[in-house]
Amino acid sequence: MNGPVRHLAIALFLGFALLVGAVTWHQIIVGPDYRDDSRNLRLVAGRTGRERGTIITADGVVVSRSVADPDDPRVFRREYPEGPLYSHVVGYSTLLFGSSGLEQTRGDDLVSNRDATISGVIRAILGGDVRAKGLGLTINHELQQLAATALGDQRGAVVALDPRTGAILAMVSAPTFDANDLLGGGVAAAGDALAADPDAPLLNRVIAETYAPGSTFKIITTSAALETGVAGPATEFDDPIALELPGSTAVIRNFSRGPCGDGDSVELQRAFARSCNTTFAALGLEVGANDLVSTAQAFGVNSDVPFDLTSLASFVPATEEFDFNLAGLAQTAIGERDVRVTPLQMALVGAAIANGGEIMEPYLVAEVFNSDATIESVTEPVVWRRAISPATAATIADLMELAVTSGTGTRAAVPGIRIGGKTGTAEVPGGPPHSWFVGYGPVEADEDTPQIVVAVLVESGGDAGESATGGTVAAPIAQQLMAAFFGVPLAD
Amino acid sequence: MSRNAEAALLGVTAIVAAMGVALVNFARGDWLDAQVALTFMVFAVAFGSVNAAMRRWAPTASPYLFPIVALLAAVAFTEIYRLDPQLASIQRWSLLVGAAVSAFVLFLLREEGVTVLRRYRYLFLAAAVVLLLLPLLPTDWTVLRGAEVNGSRLWVRLEVLGRTLSFQPGELAKVLLTIFLASYLADRHVAMATTNRTLGPLRLPEPRQFGPVLIAAGVAFAVLIYQRDLGASLLLFALFIGMIYAATGRAAYLAAGGVLTIGGGIVAYQLFAHVERRVFSWLHPFDDYAGAGYQIAQSLFALGSGSLTGSGIGLGRPDLIPAAATDFIFAAVAEEMGFAGSIIVLAAFSLLVALGFGIALRTRDVFRKFLAAGLTLVIGVQAFLILAGVLRLFPVTGITLPFMSYGGSSLLANMVLVTLLARISHGEQA
Repeated sequence: MNGPVRHLAIALFLGFALLVGAVTWHQIIVGPDYRDDSRNLRLVAGRTGRERGTIITADGVVVSRSVADPDDPRVFRREYPEGPLYSHVVGYSTLLFGSSGLEQTRGDDLVSNRDATISGVIRAILGGDVRAKGLGLTINHELQQLAATALGDQRGAVVALDPRTGAILAMVSAPTFDANDLLGGGVAAAGDALAADPDAPLLNRVIAETYAPGSTFKIITTSAALETGVAGPATEFDDPIALELPGSTAVIRNFSRGPCGDGDSVELQRAFARSCNTTFAALGLEVGANDLVSTAQAFGVNSDVPFDLTSLASFVPATEEFDFNLAGLAQTAIGERDVRVTPLQMALVGAAIANGGEIMEPYLVAEVFNSDATIESVTEPVVWRRAISPATAATIADLMELAVTSGTGTRAAVPGIRIGGKTGTAEVPGGPPHSWFVGYGPVEADEDTPQIVVAVLVESGGDAGESATGGTVAAPIAQQLMAAFFGVPLAD
Repeated sequence: MSRNAEAALLGVTAIVAAMGVALVNFARGDWLDAQVALTFMVFAVAFGSVNAAMRRWAPTASPYLFPIVALLAAVAFTEIYRLDPQLASIQRWSLLVGAAVSAFVLFLLREEGVTVLRRYRYLFLAAAVVLLLLPLLPTDWTVLRGAEVNGSRLWVRLEVLGRTLSFQPGELAKVLLTIFLASYLADRHVAMATTNRTLGPLRLPEPRQFGPVLIAAGVAFAVLIYQRDLGASLLLFALFIGMIYAATGRAAYLAAGGVLTIGGGIVAYQLFAHVERRVFSWLHPFDDYAGAGYQIAQSLFALGSGSLTGSGIGLGRPDLIPAAATDFIFAAVAEEMGFAGSIIVLAAFSLLVALGFGIALRTRDVFRKFLAAGLTLVIGVQAFLILAGVLRLFPVTGITLPFMSYGGSSLLANMVLVTLLARISHGEQA
């Protein structure tokens, strides 16, 4: 009778061996996947209630801070004194509704390490600073407020940056939300309501949504033509009323429905200033898919932008997609069809022109400071990529200046400052167009003069509806920002 | 090893429990308080009295059993205190009651040992059936009534002196059924082992000998239907089949049990929504993450977050796991004490099972041999079923983890069970 008892013992031991295997599997082998799963509340949960660092703008406005609970000094409550204005930049950090913005991506700096974990204790013993660190932003509070006001209740995005360093000066997405609503009790309900809103207030349109770039893409098409020597600013093009697309019944017309110039021939620079679709569609066909796509990629399209916030890559189809699709190539050259960009990417295209062809990595956090206000680290500007040669950049700069002085971008002009820019009006199937403006100033500035690049996107026509264009809707918003930046009062 | 060594080991577990409570306090930012001393005292008094009872009434009983039980209880008590100090103070009372009843059982069995139980097998069977049926009492009776918790009809509430006592009679029923089975098989195992025909490689006993197997299946299925308790149903059936196999050595009974388990499982899956739901959330915990899969998903997150050394006692978030103090106490331990803690728990259970089977193997008398094997099966199978659920090897069955889950009935029944095992080992030379 001992035989069967032994068998039972062996069976149970095999069962326990299976349990040891399962516990090894779940805790050691795939454990890190569970630990880092976005649905695992522990990462955030461990940090709620702890002190988090203060976040201030470049001009010293506090946008996020932790306040000790009067009842329990070990528990802290987060506050966002500027309300909705910085909610997309700073984001939120909640137990039940996840986290976003800098609160998410710089959580390791912001959260206090003063806890009882072994590593925390060792750091404290070794004299390390375990208190929460603060962040100093590159954002200028005045520009941020102005951008939000200028956009008003239109859906869209505004981003301004310093082309020489990549420092973000303003970053606004509308509609927005108030991160103060995502604190304490009721977070899940408030968050779910925001997530269900059809206007997507939680979406940071500067970095997390892509749009057809429309005519602002002509900066890239022109760069490709100049880099390859296909055309120069004075190159003459035929000036038809409509361009018939090869291998297709579709035609491309200008916004005016007429010819670009005199109906006979038109110079490239004139066509750029007037944003003529016929000319640039033809130019795109001459440049060819290979150079158009590779130039777009040189500007950073199809690449993840190295940034303090998680951003979406912009998109242009691969060269092969155009092998038997010259109509698609012509439409891509004027920023329609499948090409899609984020407003941040368009700002970086403008920054490349302003900065002699080189794009700096954009950044939001200028410095990390310790709890005693000493500087822990300062962000050094880093070159992200060279998009085009300095010569090409200088030529495009001239064209963009022409567009603002005597083309579609006149509403972006700032008195006394040389402004360059490019408008865009991207067709949206079944609705009013998206309005774009990418511009900067001053053109050809010396090293001591501060420069600013502004990209503006207004979704679906904004307040202007069907009649919206980049020149009438987006350009004036950029104008306000640039005028404020240079301290130039605007009439009106 | 002697009773002194046992006392020393029990003292160590009392220190472990007290230090666990102290660590929870530190993690909360509090300092040592009365809870630490109280926990030490309760563990020392409870297991000290068991030790004293053993010295007097079963001096040569295995000295290893209760230190392992106390270690499991101490590790779990730390987590229960961490999850809810109020539950912990109730658990302390349960520990004292469990120890007192264990000592009392040793006293009752002081003369003849467990052999005396053999005579009363039909009394135990009747008592077990009554206990299993008790939760089905109407829920609107005043003094004694059945109660439904989380969809299972396992609870009985008793009103005494203005207070409501809740208990799970099924926990004690499994011990009584084990005694009945051991006694029944001690009389019948020769007949049940006699084979006179074959079916392929299987040697078959008389068809009528399969009667008890069918009765076992019927009882298990009744529990599943009327109490909606998948865990207890499986446990009882595994116990019946395992003990019949231990007594007869005939694989035919295992085969019959296996066929009935699979057949019953398929029928249950088709008929009962609660069984189907559990199987689905086992196979696809993340498909209905916010609903049926939530508990197992939280368990997996806890296991993964615990990693090698755990988050530290009091520093994890086992409170996010539903039923962390009861069915999922292992996940809570694994999160805060890590893989290291998990392995200690598994090792302790393996050791306990090894000791139990060792006692069964060394015992010459068939009744006590079967009883020891059966009692060990109860602990081993119950621990395996719930741990396999927590570790996603098997659907969650919703039974307690012996000695660890919060709950007085479970602790009391399992302490009595180990006491019987210890009493069997008394007088048998290793």
